[in-house]
Amino acid sequence: MEEIKKAILEFAEKTGKTKFYFKDMEKAVHKVMPDVKARMIKKAATELINEGKLIYFSTGSTTMYGLKGRGQTEDH
Amino acid sequence: MFEPKEPQKKLKYEELRIYTDEELNNYTEEELKEFKCKHPIPDVEDLEKGPWPSFVADAKREALHRRKLPDDRLLIGKYVVEDTLGQLQLSFDHGETHWKHGGIVGVFGYGGGVIGRYSDVPEKFPDIAHFHTLRVNQPASKFYDTEYLRTLCDLWEFRGSGMFNFHGSTGDIIFLGTTTEQLEPVFYELTHVLQQDLGGSGSNLRTPSCCVGKARCEWSCIDTQDMCYELTHYYQDELHRPAFPYKFKFKFDGCPNCCVASIARADMSFIGTWKDDIRIDQEAVQAYINGEIPPNGGAFKGRDWGKFDIYKEVINLCPTKCMWMEDGKLMIDNKECTRCMHCINVMPQALRPGKDTGVSILFGAKAPILEGAQMSVLTIPFMKCEPPYDNIKEIVEKTWDWWMEEGKNRERLGELIQRYGLPKFLEVLELPPMPQIVKEPRSNPYIFWKEEDVPGGWQRDIKDYRSRHKR
Repeated sequence: MEEIKKAILEFAEKTGKTKFYFKDMEKAVHKVMPDVKARMIKKAATELINEGKLIYFSTGSTTMYGLKGRGQTEDH
Repeated sequence: MFEPKEPQKKLKYEELRIYTDEELNNYTEEELKEFKCKHPIPDVEDLEKGPWPSFVADAKREALHRRKLPDDRLLIGKYVVEDTLGQLQLSFDHGETHWKHGGIVGVFGYGGGVIGRYSDVPEKFPDIAHFHTLRVNQPASKFYDTEYLRTLCDLWEFRGSGMFNFHGSTGDIIFLGTTTEQLEPVFYELTHVLQQDLGGSGSNLRTPSCCVGKARCEWSCIDTQDMCYELTHYYQDELHRPAFPYKFKFKFDGCPNCCVASIARADMSFIGTWKDDIRIDQEAVQAYINGEIPPNGGAFKGRDWGKFDIYKEVINLCPTKCMWMEDGKLMIDNKECTRCMHCINVMPQALRPGKDTGVSILFGAKAPILEGAQMSVLTIPFMKCEPPYDNIKEIVEKTWDWWMEEGKNRERLGELIQRYGLPKFLEVLELPPMPQIVKEPRSNPYIFWKEEDVPGGWQRDIKDYRSRHKR
C-alpha cells in the first residue's frame, strides 16, 4: 500500500496539471507496478485523501484528484 | 421481512426544532403583498404570472421570512434568497450565467454529495458569494413524514439558504446554497442526528432510487425498496469515494410501467417482471365488458368515453397481438407477451402479473441535454431477485470492472457498449445472446458466431474469397 501511495504522490508532483483523473493516476501506478488492481489504487488514494495529501475536485458531474496546496484553494 | 441495518429511531420535531412557531410564522399576507426584493427583478417577477405555481412566489415568501428573523437566528446571510433572485435578473439582462461551478469543497472523507458553487459577481451579491449545493440521499421511495421534513427545514433555514429542490432528478433532496463553513456542521447533523446520508455526485455511484414498490403497489414484482436499500449500503464506497470514469446510476422499477423511468435514465436499470402467465379473473373481465367496473382504475371517469370496448381499448392495442376472445373468455398467448402492461393497466381487477417474478436488467441509458435520450438495452431478460441479491451484485461488479478498465474519462457505460458492441458486453458478463435481447428477432435473426463457438470450427481463405469478390 505504501508503495502505491508513493507512486501516486510522485505522479501528482511530477504532472504539470493541478488536477487529474483517477485513470491518469492508475496509468502512472501501473507503469511502476503493473499488477496492482484498480481497487487497491482507489484504497491508496482514499488514504491519501484522509491524510490530507490529496484532495478531490468535483465539477458536480465529474470528479478529479489533485495535490493538496497546488492550484485552487477551498475559497475559490 | 425488511430489516434495517442499524437501529432506527423516530425523529421528533418537538425535540429537534430550532425555531419557535412565532419565528416560523413571522409575516402576514399583507406584508407579503408589499414585499419588495432588495434588487429590482422585473423579468424574474414576470415568471409569477400565469396559472402555474412559481418558484419566484415561493422564494419571495422565504426572503421575507428571513428578513424578519433576528440576525442571530441565521448562520449565513440574511439576504441569500434576495441575492439569488437579483443574480438571476442579472443573468436575464446579460443572457449568460453568473454562477461558477465546481471546486474542492466537500465534507471530510467524501468525494461526492457536495457541489461547489460561487457567484462571479460577489461584490453585487455578497450573500451568495458561496452557494454550495448538498445532495441528501432520499429515503427509499421518498417516504417520509412531516416531523422529518420539518426537522430538515429548520436545519437548512439555520445553516443554509432555506431553499430546497424536492426532489432532484436523481431523487435526492437538494439543499440549495450554503457557505463552506456550514458544510461540516450540516453533514454532522444529518448523519449523527437525522440518520441521513449524503447522496452521490461526480464520478461516483449516484444515489440509487426506486418506485413505491411493494409498499403501495400491487403490480410490483420485486421489493424495490429493499433492493435499493441493500445496494445503497453495500456499495457505500462507490457512492462516496469516486474512482469511476464518470457517473453511474442504478434505478429500480417494480414492474414494466417503469414509474422511476429507469429505462430512460439509469446506466443499469432493474425492472420487475414475471416469467409465468398473466393471471386472469374471467368474471372480472366480464364485469369490465358489462361496464360494472370502470377501466383504468377509474382514472378517466371525469368524461363520458362511451361503453367500454375490450377490442378497441385492450385487444387491438396489444403490441404483439397475443390476446383474443374465445367463447366469451379472454385468452392470452403468454409466450408472445412483451410485458407492456397495457392490458393490466386497463383492467387491473381482471388481470395481474404472474407469480414467478424476478427482474429484467437493462444497461446503458443516459439523458444528455444536447443529443437526446438514449434508452437502456435489455441484456438480461430474467433473473431471480431475492436478498441478499448476490447474483445481481456479481453482474454489477463484472460491469464496473470492465467499464473502469476500458471506459474513457467521462464515457458513460452506454457509450462504451456502443463503442465495443453488445456482443463484447455479453462476453464480459459471460452471458449467451438470447432472442429476447434482439430488437426484431423475427425480421433480423442475424448473429455473428466466432469460430470457437461452433463445434468443428471452419476454414475460410480470405484471399481466395477476395479473388472473386472485390471490396
